[in-house]
Amino acid sequence: MNGMVGRVVIVGGGTAGWLSACSLAAARPDLSVTLIEAPDIPTIGVGEGTWPTMRATLAAIGIGEAEFLAACDASFKQGSRFDGWVNGAPNDRYFHPFTSPPGMPARALLAAWRDGPSELPFAAAMTPQVHVCERDLAPRQRAMPDYQGAANYAYHLDAGKFAALLARHAVQRLGVNHLADHVVDVRADGQGGIAAVVTRENGEIAADLFLDCTGHAALLIGRHLDVQWIDRGDALINDRALAAQVPVSPGSPIASQTVATAHAAGWIWDIGLPARRGIGCVYASRFMDDEAAETVLRSYIATALPDAPDVPIRKLSFPTGHRARFWQGNCVAVGLSAGFIEPLESSAIVLIELSLRALTENFPASRAAMPIHAGRFNALFRYRWDRVVEFLKLHYVLSRRDEPYWRAQRDPAHVPQGLADMLALWRDQPPSTWDFPQAEEIFSAESHQYILYGMGHPAPDGHATERARAALAANGQRARTLAAALPTNRAYLDALLAEDGAGPAHMEGH
Amino acid sequence: MTSHAPLDKNVHRDLRVRTDVGAALGDAVMATLTVPSEFRSVQGHFPILFRREPGQGDFMALALFGFENGENLMLDGDRWDARYRPWSLAIQPFLVGRPVGGEGPGQVHIDLDHPRIAQGGEGVRLFDEDGMATPYLDAIAERLGALDEGYRASGEFFAALRDHDLLEPFTLEVPLTDGSKHSLVGFHIIDEAKLAALGADTLGKLHAAGHLMPIFMALASLSQISALVERKNRRTRGG
Repeated sequence: MNGMVGRVVIVGGGTAGWLSACSLAAARPDLSVTLIEAPDIPTIGVGEGTWPTMRATLAAIGIGEAEFLAACDASFKQGSRFDGWVNGAPNDRYFHPFTSPPGMPARALLAAWRDGPSELPFAAAMTPQVHVCERDLAPRQRAMPDYQGAANYAYHLDAGKFAALLARHAVQRLGVNHLADHVVDVRADGQGGIAAVVTRENGEIAADLFLDCTGHAALLIGRHLDVQWIDRGDALINDRALAAQVPVSPGSPIASQTVATAHAAGWIWDIGLPARRGIGCVYASRFMDDEAAETVLRSYIATALPDAPDVPIRKLSFPTGHRARFWQGNCVAVGLSAGFIEPLESSAIVLIELSLRALTENFPASRAAMPIHAGRFNALFRYRWDRVVEFLKLHYVLSRRDEPYWRAQRDPAHVPQGLADMLALWRDQPPSTWDFPQAEEIFSAESHQYILYGMGHPAPDGHATERARAALAANGQRARTLAAALPTNRAYLDALLAEDGAGPAHMEGH
Repeated sequence: MTSHAPLDKNVHRDLRVRTDVGAALGDAVMATLTVPSEFRSVQGHFPILFRREPGQGDFMALALFGFENGENLMLDGDRWDARYRPWSLAIQPFLVGRPVGGEGPGQVHIDLDHPRIAQGGEGVRLFDEDGMATPYLDAIAERLGALDEGYRASGEFFAALRDHDLLEPFTLEVPLTDGSKHSLVGFHIIDEAKLAALGADTLGKLHAAGHLMPIFMALASLSQISALVERKNRRTRGG
C-alpha cells in the first residue's frame, strides 16, 4: 500500500448508492468502484422529487434525457405549489418556481410588483413559469437538445426505477463492480477508519475509501464509526408519514409541480407521474395520531381522484436530523445515512448530488490528505444541513394558521437563531446573496424570496426602476409565448413513450 | 393536393404548428422564394438567383440552399445550420389568401395538409385559451405581410431589370473535390458589366424607385456560392 486512493467500496444500493457509483465512475474512470448491496433489502423509495441539478448530474454520468424519462416513469417538475399554508382559505396558494426572478436588484423588482398595475401574486409576476405550471405544460419541447428547456426544471420520478436505471448504467456502461451480498462486519484500520468490510459470501473486501449508503441503518458511519446523530426535531416537528400510490387514468393531466397541501397537523404531498400519483401525508405524532392522519390522506385522495381505487398505505416513522460529521476517517456518508429531513422541498436527492460533487471535485489523492478533505466536507455539509433546516422552518413560521400544531411550529423557542436573525433583517431588506454567500447554496436567496413574499411577508420600501417595470412587463409577454409553444406534460410524455414503445417495457408484455 | 383555409379562431382554436426543422416537415428544398425587400437579410447567408418559371413570363428570386432538387445543404438532420431562415420558409404552413376576385387586404390562410400541422399536442398554438392570437401567430402574420408586400412590389423590380437588360443567364459548373462536376442550369444573375455601364441618370432613377439596393444585394450574395460548394464537398466527403 502506497497510501494512494484507488479502490472505492460503496455499501448499499438505492438512489444514494447507485448515484454515487455512477458519479464516481464517470468522473474518475481510473478508480476501481465496487458496490455491495444486500440482495433482499427493499429500498425506502421516498424522495421522488429532484432539484434542477439532476439535469447536469445525468448529463455528467452519460444518461440521455429520453432514456431517463422513459425508464423512470418520470415527469417534469418546475417547482412547488403550497396550498393552504398561510391561513387555509380556499384561495390560499402560492408557488415556489425553479426559475429565478429577473436578474436585477430585488428591492426594485418588489417595488415594481407592489406598485405596478398587475394583480398577479409575487411568483407569477417574477417569472412566466407560473403561467406554464398553471396550464400543466412541459418546460421544453422534444426537439430541444437534452436537458435544455424554456424554463428551469427538475423531475418527479419513480425512485425504485431510478435506482434500477442507475444500476444498469453503472455496471454495463461505467464498469462498476456489483456484489449482491450482505456486509456482516467491519474491520477497523487502526487509524480511525475502515480497512475492509466483511461480507457473508465474498469474505473481506478492502478499499481505500468507503461510502456509507446504507440508509437509516448507517452501517458504517453510525454503527461502526459511531459518529453522533444530531437531532433536529426541535425545529422540525413532523415525524411520521403515510405514503400511497394512486393510479391515474390514461390521458389525464400531469401537474407541472409538486403540490404540498397543509392540513391541521402537517401537510400532504402530491407528485404526478404519467401512470400514478404519489400522495402522502406528513404529520407530527405529537399532534395527530395515525388513524386521523389516514383519514386526512384518504379524504384528500377521494377529493383529488374521485374514481381512484382503494390503495394500500405505507407508514413511515422518521427521525429528523443528521450526523455530527459526514466524513469520518476514510468513510463518507451519502444519503439517509448522513441525515434525513421531511421531504417538503425535496432535499434528499439534491443533498446526495451535492455530496458527490464535493467528493468527486475534491477527491482525496491519498489517505494522508483525507483529514483535510474531511474537515472541509464536514464544515460545508454542516452549513448545508443548517440551511435546509432553516429553509424548511421558514415555510412554517410565516403561517398564520391557528391550529395547535401550527402555533407550535411558530413558537419562537424552536426557531433556529440564524433564521430568527434573518427574519429580522428581512423586515428591512429582501433576501440576497449577502444572506447566502456560499458558491453553491442549496436554497438560493431567490428561493427564500418566493416563500417570503408568496406567504405575504411585507416587501421592504424601495423604488421601482424603469428596468424593473420593463422586466415584469416582458414576463407577461414571455408567458403568452411559452404557453403557445409548450406541449402539455401529458402530450410530451405520451409522445415520448410512444416512440420508446418498442423498447423493453413493451417486450415485457409478451 | 393542398387544403387551404382562412385561419379562424373558432375552428382552429386548438391547432398547433410544428416549428422544428426536418426533411419530413418540408425543409428538404434546394431553394426558396425571396423578395427584393428581403435581399438585404438573405445575402449574408445564401446566394440569390433569378429564375423564370416554365410557361410563365415573370421572373422570381430564389435563395439557394443546394444544387439539385431536394438537396438542402443548410439542413443538418433536425438542425437548421444557418443563422437565417427566409420568410417564405419561416411562414410555412401559412400563406396569404385573398377573397375571390383577388383584391382587398390579404388574410392569413393555413395549409391544413402541410406536414407542419402538428398532431398529438406538440407544436406551437395559434390561439391561447381566450381565443387571442399567440405571440407566435402575431409574428407569423407580420412576416406574411412583409412577404406579401415584397412579392407584390417585385413586379416593378423585375420590370426595371428587364428594361435595362440587367439579367444574364447563369450556368454554374460546380467542381467537387471528388472530381465530379455538377451543373446548375436555368438560372439568371445580375449582369454586372451592364450594371457598371449604366449612366448616372438611370442609376438615379433606379435608386429613387428603391431598386438599386436590392440589385447590389443580389450581386453581393453571389459570394455565398463558394460557401455552398464547400458544404456540398463536405457532404460528399462525409459519404
